[in-house]
Amino acid sequence: MSASNIWISDLTHYYNKKQKSPTLDNINLSIPKGQLTALIGRSGCGKSTLLQMMAGLLFPSDGAVRINGQTIVKPSAKWNMMFQKPSLYPWMTVRENAALGLVFAGTYKEKADRVEELLDMVGLKEHKDKNVQQLSGGQQQRVALARSLATEPEILLLDEPFSALDAFTRTALQTEVAQICHDQNITMVLVTHDIEEAVAMADKVIIMSHNPGKIVGEKDIPLHYPRDRSSKDFATLKEELFAEFEKIDLEKQRELEAMAS
Amino acid sequence: MTTAATITPKAGWFANAMSGYGKMPLWMQSATNATLGMTILLVLWWIGGLLIASNPDTEAFANFAPGPTLVSLWHLIESGTLWETIYSSLYRIIIGLFWGIVIGVPVGVLVGYFLNFRQVANMPFQFLRMISPLAWMPIAVLAFETWDQAIIFLLAMATVWPIIFGTAHGVQRIDPNWFRVAKNLGADGYQMLRRVIMPAIAQDVFAGIRLAIGVAWVVLVPAEYLGVTSGLGYAINDARDTLDYDKLAAIVVVIGVIGYLLDFIAMKLIKRYSWHVE
Ligand SMILES: Nc1ncnc2c1ncn2[C@@H]1O[C@H](COP(=O)(O)OP(=O)(O)O)[C@@H](O)[C@H]1O
Ligand SMILES: [Mg+2]
Repeated sequence: MSASNIWISDLTHYYNKKQKSPTLDNINLSIPKGQLTALIGRSGCGKSTLLQMMAGLLFPSDGAVRINGQTIVKPSAKWNMMFQKPSLYPWMTVRENAALGLVFAGTYKEKADRVEELLDMVGLKEHKDKNVQQLSGGQQQRVALARSLATEPEILLLDEPFSALDAFTRTALQTEVAQICHDQNITMVLVTHDIEEAVAMADKVIIMSHNPGKIVGEKDIPLHYPRDRSSKDFATLKEELFAEFEKIDLEKQRELEAMAS
Repeated sequence: MTTAATITPKAGWFANAMSGYGKMPLWMQSATNATLGMTILLVLWWIGGLLIASNPDTEAFANFAPGPTLVSLWHLIESGTLWETIYSSLYRIIIGLFWGIVIGVPVGVLVGYFLNFRQVANMPFQFLRMISPLAWMPIAVLAFETWDQAIIFLLAMATVWPIIFGTAHGVQRIDPNWFRVAKNLGADGYQMLRRVIMPAIAQDVFAGIRLAIGVAWVVLVPAEYLGVTSGLGYAINDARDTLDYDKLAAIVVVIGVIGYLLDFIAMKLIKRYSWHVE
C-alpha cells in the first residue's frame, strides 16, 4: 500500500438520497506510482464521477480517496485533470493558457522556459502567440495538455480527452500522452469507452459495470511504449479485452433482466 | 474562355470613378465616407439656415446657421468659458457613472449568476428601467441637499440599468468549465476573479457602460436645466433666455462632439476587452 500513489477504499457514492442503487458501489482500487490505468465501462457507469473524486472536485458519500497516504480535501495542480473539452480561456494566447497553472502558483517567472519547452514538445512551436480560438480542435487539446503538464503533476487524470477529435489526431495524441506519462513517471488514469484507446495507452485496464457502478474486472496490458498498433500482440490483447468486456456486460444484462422479471 | 475576359466593357466615367473607389484601402474608403457624411450634415445645416433666414417668421433665429455658430464657438473656446462649462457637465457624468458602475456591476453579477435572483429581479428591474430618469427629479430634489447631488442621482439612475443588464449578460455567458479548470489548476478566489471572471465579462460590462454613457449624456442636458448654474444644459437654457442663438447652436455642437468622443472611448474599451474572434 505504501507504494500506491492513488488509494481508494470502500468508496460508495449517491448523488442524491432518493437513489435506489448507488452511483458508485464499494469501490476498492490501488494505483501504483507511474502506472497508466484505464477505466472502461458503458456510459453512465460512474467513470467520470470516480475520476472527479481523484481530482478533489467531488467527494464521496462514504469511503476514502487518498493520494500518497493523504485524504484529498481540495483540488491541486499536483493531480491534474484534462477534460473532454479543452476549455481554454479565449481571451488568452496559447502561451498564456499553457502558463496559467504556473501563474496561479506564482512560479511562472522562474519556470517560463518549461512552458516554451512543453509547447514545442506538443507541436505548437509556431502558434505560441496566437489566440487559442484560431487553433483546430486537436491543437486546442494539445494546449490543454501543455497546461496540465506545466505544473509538473504527479498524476494526470484524463476524462475522455480525445473523443471529440478526428481519428488521426486522436491516435497521434494517444501515443504522445502515453509516452510522456511513461517517460516522466506520471501516474495516469484514463477514463474511456474506447477499447482500442485503453490498449494503446494503459498498463492496466479496469472494467466497470453500471447500475450500480462497480469494478468487475481488470486486465494487464504487458506491451512496451511506444506501442505498435499493427502488431499481432496488440490485436490479440484488444480482442481479449473486448471479449472480457462483452462477457461481463452480457452477465450484467442478464442480471438486470432477471431482476426486472 | 479567355476571349471573353479580353473584351473590356465600355464603362462611363462614373463607373470608372466608382471602381477606383472600391480599390481604395479600407481605412481610406472609410475616411472618405465619414467626410462625405459630415459634409452632407453641414450642407443640410447650411440649407436649413438659409431657409430660416429667408422666412420672415423665423428670421430672428438666423444665427442658428453654421457661419454664426462656428464664430460663436470660437469665441467660447478663446474666452475659456467653454472649458468650465464642459468640466461641470463631465464631472457630473463621471460621478453619476461611477455610482452606476459601483452599484450596477455587483448587482449584475448576482442577477447573472443566481437564477433565483434573476427571477425575482427581472420584473421590478424592467419596470424601473422604463421610468425616465428625469421622472425621479422631484424625489431627487427632496432627498438631496444640493442640485448637483440631485443631478448625479438622476445620472446614476440612468446608468445603472444598462450596466446591470450588460454585466448579467456577461456572467451568463461564462462557461462553467472555466471555473472547474481554474480550480483544478490551483486558483484561489482572488485569482478566479482576476484571471477568469473579470476578463470573461469585461466586454459585456463595457458594452453596458457604453449604453449607459449614451443615456446619461441625453439625460444630462435637461437635468441641468434645473437649479444648477453651470454645465452644458444650463448654458443652453441661458443662451435661449438671452436670445444668443449662435451660442445656443455652438453648445449643441459641443454636446454632439463630446457625446461622440465619449462613445468612441467606450467603443475602444469594448474592442480592447473583446475576446471573440470574428
Ligand atoms: N451532478 C450529477 N448529479 C446527479 N447525477 C449525476 C451527476 N453527474 C452524473 N450523474 C449520474 O451518475 C451516473 C454516472 O455518471 P458519470 O460518472 O458521468 O458516468 P460516465 O462518466 O461513466 O459516463 C449517471 O447515471 C449520471 O446520470
Ligand atoms: Mg463521463
